[in-house]
Amino acid sequence: MDLSLETRQEDGHTIIEVGGEIDVYTAPKLRDKITELVGNGSYNLVIDMEKVDFLDSTGLGVLVGGLKKVRAHDGSMRLICNQERLLKIFRITGLAKVFAIHGSQADALAER
Amino acid sequence: MPAGTARTTTGITVSIARDPALVRTVRLVAAAVARRSSQDEEFVEEVRLAVGEACALLVGQEVSPGTTVGPVEVRMLVEDRLRVSVLAAGTIAAQDPPTSDIDGVEPWALLRGLIDDFEITQDAGTTVLSMSWPLT
Repeated sequence: MDLSLETRQEDGHTIIEVGGEIDVYTAPKLRDKITELVGNGSYNLVIDMEKVDFLDSTGLGVLVGGLKKVRAHDGSMRLICNQERLLKIFRITGLAKVFAIHGSQADALAER
Repeated sequence: MPAGTARTTTGITVSIARDPALVRTVRLVAAAVARRSSQDEEFVEEVRLAVGEACALLVGQEVSPGTTVGPVEVRMLVEDRLRVSVLAAGTIAAQDPPTSDIDGVEPWALLRGLIDDFEITQDAGTTVLSMSWPLT
């Protein structure tokens, strides 16, 4: 399965709905999308990972890189993830403390 | 497996070119082998992630000038444990640098955190990432 990316605007945030596998092959596509959005002035991103089947360290690296990009513009990056297998990867790498991880889009958008 | 039946050794070897697009194929094979060994989907997921991660590291490995850029080979053996070795020509920095180069993510930390039995050996210009899991 390839990576699918759908973006939309909501409540002052840009939501990227990611589907499929984020790995060494597909991660550059997500990196390019984040770079494009930040380049166009979208500094408050919400990455919805509910339809992500697989995530490796390359994908994590892209997310961390994206976080650095938006923070450079005083922006934010929030993640939506309920899947235990993905949450486990964030915990092992210590990134669960770095990202704001929410259980739903409503929760992610409600945070101020 | 019926009680009292000896587990027969099964070996599977997959060799891929150093193309990131092929790592997914290895993950699929690893998951299939793990699923054949255990019905535990959490275990299957762990093997899929670990083997894919190890394979991605060696696929993306920078080889020294003069080294032949050969394939990455993944050997899986099902016996008392599920044993997986991922091999490739060339050497690799086996520690994450203090300030990691992959946007702050430490792939080695992920592998070490994921697998109890994980070892890196570099010998005669070949890097081998070995890992194993007990089979119940």
